Amino acid sequence: MKIEAIEYGDRSVYTVSAFNRGVAEWLSRLPSLWVEGEVTELRRQDRWQSIFLTLKDPADGACLAVTMPRGQFDALRLDLADGERIHVFGRPQLYEARGDFRFRALTIERFGLGDHLAALERLKRKLADEGLFAPDRKRALPRLPRRIGLVTGNDAAAKRDVLTAITARFPPARILVAETYVQGPRAASAIAEALREICDAPEIEVVVLARGGGSFEDLLPFSDERLIRAIADCPVPIVSAVGHEQDLPLSDLVADARASTPTAAARLVVPDLAELNARLERSRAALARGTRSALDRERRRLDLARDHLRRAPLLMLERRRAALEQTAGRLRALSPRATLERGYAIVRAAGEIVRASSQVATGARVDVELGKGGLGARVEETR
Amino acid sequence: MSEPSFEEAQRELEGIVERLESGKASLDEAITLWERGEELYRLCSTRLDTAQGKIEELARRVEAVKP
Repeated sequence: MKIEAIEYGDRSVYTVSAFNRGVAEWLSRLPSLWVEGEVTELRRQDRWQSIFLTLKDPADGACLAVTMPRGQFDALRLDLADGERIHVFGRPQLYEARGDFRFRALTIERFGLGDHLAALERLKRKLADEGLFAPDRKRALPRLPRRIGLVTGNDAAAKRDVLTAITARFPPARILVAETYVQGPRAASAIAEALREICDAPEIEVVVLARGGGSFEDLLPFSDERLIRAIADCPVPIVSAVGHEQDLPLSDLVADARASTPTAAARLVVPDLAELNARLERSRAALARGTRSALDRERRRLDLARDHLRRAPLLMLERRRAALEQTAGRLRALSPRATLERGYAIVRAAGEIVRASSQVATGARVDVELGKGGLGARVEETR
Repeated sequence: MSEPSFEEAQRELEGIVERLESGKASLDEAITLWERGEELYRLCSTRLDTAQGKIEELARRVEAVKP
């Protein structure tokens, strides 16, 4: 079809209708292709010719209006819910009457398990490359949190199990519970929102993200990029307690700690009160022991000092006595008695020592001192 | 003359011993010195015995008040 312009002098001007027709024609030459996104605002009414939905890019929120003939859509029996991820095969189209651009769907496919796995693997690599799972990003969990946040499903046995496990281990634990959808296409953003809110609550120092076991699809929200980024951005440490041991949702990789059971989660966030008490008791006993031993040590030192004090005067006496005895020994060695004991004698006449025979006359009385004892004698003769 | 103290007596005793050891004393002096020395020795020895007795008595009393 030829599109005619109206000529105003040297200016070519198109009518709206002609412009739209031209653009529509140009668009119709583009090839059909697959587009991936999340379903939002699905509108379908029995009296309408077509159904409408908005396809949203989960990464940045970019939107694309999609339309499909109602008969074709119904025949697919997709039963789509808002937030669900789909692949749409179609081509761009301009609704000429309104100049609306939209994507005309030829078929729609729900994201399959294989697609999910592939997408998960891609996302995992991308986030790993960004360093979101790096060990040095992991924060230490508080030893004794003032308040614990618990984000869990509103139905969940997981909630009860985690609460029970925490209070069994540490009865005075204070726990703030945020319930949210944990399943379905809207779960990821709902959990992320709950997580942000609970992190803002006062005194929250650790948050447990809990979800019981489920199918691969059930756990998909816990691998959703929005939730993973929300966890990474959380100002407090997060424990991911999602699914069972064999499940490894990305939340487990990005969280600061991972727990495969409610009991394991409890072990991570609170200390064992009984053990804590026992340790305190042991410390107290050790304290008493330590004090006693210090006391004993001081007493021994004092006793030793007292012994020295007691011994000192006697020791001094002993020393003096020894010195005295030594002097006395010397005195005795020198005494004239020693000479007498060798056989000499001292002769005295009238108290004077007799040194020459001329000092005495025959018949005079003299005293003789010997080594042992003495004699009174008379002089027989002088020579 | 009052009794000399232990230290005075000991000093005197040692002086006597030195004098005797020098060999310069005459026999009379030696005998006098020796007798004085023995007296000083007895004096010192008695003083030591008295002191020891006092110390032991004191130690016994201290033991007795110990809890």
